[in-house]
Amino acid sequence: MLATTVSVGEHPTVKVFGLTINVDTVIATILAMLVVFALGFAVRRQITRGVPGRLQLAWETILTAVTNQVEGTIGPRGVAVIPLAVTLFVFILVCNFFEIFGLGGKYELLAVPTADVNLPAAMAIFVIVLVHIASVRTRGFGGYVKHYLTHPFPVFLAPFNIFINLVEEIAKPITLALRLFGNLFSGGLMIVLIAALGAWKLSSIPIGNILTVIMAVIWKLFDVFFIGPIQAFIFALLTILYFDTAMSTDHDEELVRPEPEPVPNV
Amino acid sequence: MADTQQQAIQLAGAMIGGGLALGGGAVGAAIGDGLAGSQTIAGVARQPEAQSRLFTIMFLTVGLVEAMYFINLAFTALFVFSLYKK
Repeated sequence: MLATTVSVGEHPTVKVFGLTINVDTVIATILAMLVVFALGFAVRRQITRGVPGRLQLAWETILTAVTNQVEGTIGPRGVAVIPLAVTLFVFILVCNFFEIFGLGGKYELLAVPTADVNLPAAMAIFVIVLVHIASVRTRGFGGYVKHYLTHPFPVFLAPFNIFINLVEEIAKPITLALRLFGNLFSGGLMIVLIAALGAWKLSSIPIGNILTVIMAVIWKLFDVFFIGPIQAFIFALLTILYFDTAMSTDHDEELVRPEPEPVPNV
Repeated sequence: MADTQQQAIQLAGAMIGGGLALGGGAVGAAIGDGLAGSQTIAGVARQPEAQSRLFTIMFLTVGLVEAMYFINLAFTALFVFSLYKK
């Protein structure tokens, strides 16, 4: 009964060259991209060395946090990861914010792009391919293969190593995509269920509609301002950590980290 | 007759599978969040100045733990809404 009246995960589709495209996800993705572009160009116009405005402060906070994280883990050769991590964080954050417009209907007016499995999967595949490319560049192709044969157990257990590393390398993109998708999809699903509960059970009592709206508002506050930013942060952080494990070499102990200056004892 | 019986068995199987996935996921996520929170409380009790840093790590762990639950939730939605065909 409920399974036939609540429809989830359906998108209006269009067939292009034999491929099926979810139209509402594509439109919402383009909209999110335009929002991120607008934020970027707006801060570029009002950037100042004096007292920063709020937008510049926000961008600077994100940028310094990511830079500290990258320099703390990968070190100076990971500078190219910083723009990728910042872009991923801001873009996923904007996409997750679209959840606030959800109404729980069959087709949304403004769909949440990350609640469609295709966008998180595309981003995860993109990130993992880049991680492997960075790994080959840092270690050379021979070193890349040797790394998978010799970690985590010594080389005479090579088949075991290959198995463990294969499982890990397959699990990385899958969990990266499904984590983001599951969190956002369940947010949309909760809104649909609250709407269905309101229509199915609560519409008969006088305050039923108000209760439905209150429940929807409480869930949306939790979802958009707590789960959304956390998942964006985790995606970006895991990207940085995957780059770190892929670019780490056995010569890392030779890297000299600058000693922090001793604080004078007053 | 046999068709409705098969449909009933399919529906029952889908609902039970979905319920198991949700139940196991909820227990795991709750225990994981509780462990992360308890260690954060212990850390803050030892060293109150580290509160903001510990909070950041706690939210990171909560996000990773809840991810398992949400993956379970997505699979439950798959079982109940899609794999059960009318």
